[in-house]
Amino acid sequence: MAGRRAAIKAIDWAAFAERVPPNQRAMFNALKTRSDALSARLAALPEKPPTIDWAHYKAAVAKSGMVDEFQKKFSALKVPEPVDTQTAKIDAQEQEAAKSTAEYVQASKARIAQYEQQLQKLKSMIPFEQMTFEDLNEAFPETKLDKEKYPYWPHKPIADL
Amino acid sequence: VLHVTRPLHTTQQRLAPLPPLPEKGGEVRHGLIPEEFFQFLYPKTGVTGPYMLGTGLLLYLLSKEIYVINHETVAAACILSVIIYGIKKYGADVAAFADKLNEEKMAKALAVKTEAIKGLETAIEEEKKEQWRVEGRKYLFDAKRNNIAMLLETNYRERLLTVYNEVKKRLDYQVAMQNLKRQKEQDYMIQWVEKNVIQSITPQQQKESIAKCILDLKALSKTAQAAV
Repeated sequence: MAGRRAAIKAIDWAAFAERVPPNQRAMFNALKTRSDALSARLAALPEKPPTIDWAHYKAAVAKSGMVDEFQKKFSALKVPEPVDTQTAKIDAQEQEAAKSTAEYVQASKARIAQYEQQLQKLKSMIPFEQMTFEDLNEAFPETKLDKEKYPYWPHKPIADL
Repeated sequence: VLHVTRPLHTTQQRLAPLPPLPEKGGEVRHGLIPEEFFQFLYPKTGVTGPYMLGTGLLLYLLSKEIYVINHETVAAACILSVIIYGIKKYGADVAAFADKLNEEKMAKALAVKTEAIKGLETAIEEEKKEQWRVEGRKYLFDAKRNNIAMLLETNYRERLLTVYNEVKKRLDYQVAMQNLKRQKEQDYMIQWVEKNVIQSITPQQQKESIAKCILDLKALSKTAQAAV
């Protein structure tokens, strides 16, 4: 019976709850209720069933040999442990999750680098008081007036004024 | 502010970025003549030098009739005086107004820039937070594995319990059966004994026992008094 129980780790539900993003909270709650129900069921069952009082039955039952036979068969009986089919799947899921997490973290880092770059550009800009229009167009390309599309002043549609 | 020391392209190396343009233009005296001219003449002719030069030049032009006084002089004098009066009176206000317009434009641009910076910083924060969140996935898988372990354990215990219950039921059944049988046998025997005893009472014995009972009753009634 040594390998019977895969160790039930204590889960820090509070720390887990912290890390759940708000849009997955419902799933988290469902998981938690399920876990709690399971652990309640487990706690309600005794670890070992009570032992049968063979001596009493040997004295009480008249049919000779019946109790002895029962006792022999009972102690020889091995209750099969339930086979664990799902842990492998869970492990596979975990591997997949690790991979997709790594990708996500990669993409996230790339985004952060982009943001940092833009932040750097904005922070190192010359103050507006010292800019010419050319400098402004360099710093913010969207302010450049399109002189080919709108050749006449004000070089942008009147509605945008 | 004298700009004699403004270093524009004085060295081989061009200064880039150029230093910003000065806020205010160079100083002038009487609205026309730059201050640098007065400073230029100061070492040789002192404070009154440029004025002497100006007066002399003016008198020369007038006396030699190089500049002829005619009707246009009067017109120029009137127009200029009106212009100078207007500027002196309202110049400051107009300048302030123009400055305010510019300030508003600057403030808008600056607001846009600070918004952009703040937005980027919050975006970076959010990304870092999401990364931290993602690290918590091991909790999820631990919870799942725990659930599975709990289910298995529960199942196993239930099976043990079922076995025990079944065996106990059978043994109890045997014991109960035996008890029931014995009880039934007892009852039947008692009944049989009673029946036989009653059968064996012959009519002769019955008459004798009734007579004895009556004698006994009479004897009792003599001794016992009914308590009132």
